[in-house]
Amino acid sequence: MKQTRYGLLLFIFLILPPVADLLESIMIFHMHTQMPLIVFAGFLMTPFFQKKFPNFFMKWNRSGIPGILLVILIWSYWQIPRAMDDALTHSHVEIFKFISLPFLAGIPLRDSWRKIKNNGQFIFLVYLLATLIVTGFLYIWVDEQICNNYLIIEQQTLGWGSLAMAACLLLYLVYRQFEKDEGV
Amino acid sequence: MTKHERIAVSVIILFGLVVFLVGTDGFQAFTTEQARTNQLIKEQPQVPNVELEDSKSRTYSIEELQQNKYLFITFMYTNCATVCPQLERNMQEVYQQLPVSMIKDDIQFLSISFDTEHDDPETLEKYRSYFDSDGETWRMARINDQEELTSLLDQLGVIVIPDDYGNFQHNTAFYLVDKDGYLIDVMDYTEIDQAVERIKSVIGGDSA
Repeated sequence: MKQTRYGLLLFIFLILPPVADLLESIMIFHMHTQMPLIVFAGFLMTPFFQKKFPNFFMKWNRSGIPGILLVILIWSYWQIPRAMDDALTHSHVEIFKFISLPFLAGIPLRDSWRKIKNNGQFIFLVYLLATLIVTGFLYIWVDEQICNNYLIIEQQTLGWGSLAMAACLLLYLVYRQFEKDEGV
Repeated sequence: MTKHERIAVSVIILFGLVVFLVGTDGFQAFTTEQARTNQLIKEQPQVPNVELEDSKSRTYSIEELQQNKYLFITFMYTNCATVCPQLERNMQEVYQQLPVSMIKDDIQFLSISFDTEHDDPETLEKYRSYFDSDGETWRMARINDQEELTSLLDQLGVIVIPDDYGNFQHNTAFYLVDKDGYLIDVMDYTEIDQAVERIKSVIGGDSA
């Protein structure tokens, strides 16, 4: 239950207007710090919900597939450049961000992670890798301003940040494969 | 997958679809710029009748300038080294490709600077000459009243972000305003031929 408390604290901390404003004022923090941290907050809070509603998760997410699908859809939505802009200009989109990322991405991700087993995890990580590479190149190579709220230079920083993350993720994926081979 | 899970998957896909549909105006706009343009073309807002000061230090309102003509507007600032010269160069192309009679009788070209502080009439006068603008049928002007400038930029969805080096980042487009002062089109500033065709068809349809 300690985890849940930390998760809740992290969540509350992140949605405090000064903290949210600060992280959102810099594009790369918005995308690569704030959004993953909110997902992580949901991740930490999962045991509480699993204990509270064990049947719900067993019944509707037995194989983990519905859960991971939800994660993929929500995460994909937040990759749309406009979603990030809308979160800054429309408060209802901002609220949707603070609800969808922890509760519709963080929680199902953790609940599904073990259930989808090694192969499912591999597919999910490849999906993450692909989104990082696609958005990374998009932000670096497109000369136009994609997000109206951010400068082009920030956009390029974010692009390189995404590619750096993609490189790390790729290393991890390779490592996972080796580890699996050793295990056999 | 169990029966329940199949239901869950269907609900999730439906939900995801709705989120994407709402978030992109039915897959029409993946960037705010696209959404903004679509919205403007749909709404056709009235252009606020702001007071201009042009490169010859003359002051007049947009309405006074228009005098039963269409307006072709761009937004820029003269210190801009990146997109504005390109924008004005393309505007020049459009200007040159239109028949002289149209320029004379039907359409007024107007470049508006949002850098009110720096772009005084002398600066605009110099900038104007780089693009062979005659200062009459194609004028360059600033808006001295900050409130009026803001309302115009807001109304036309022009977002201007000052950066740390005295520059501005802003979205760029060609704006076409009809004789009654309503915005009728927002055009891609890189598609010169398309803009020329559009202007010709609007004016042609009008006189026919």
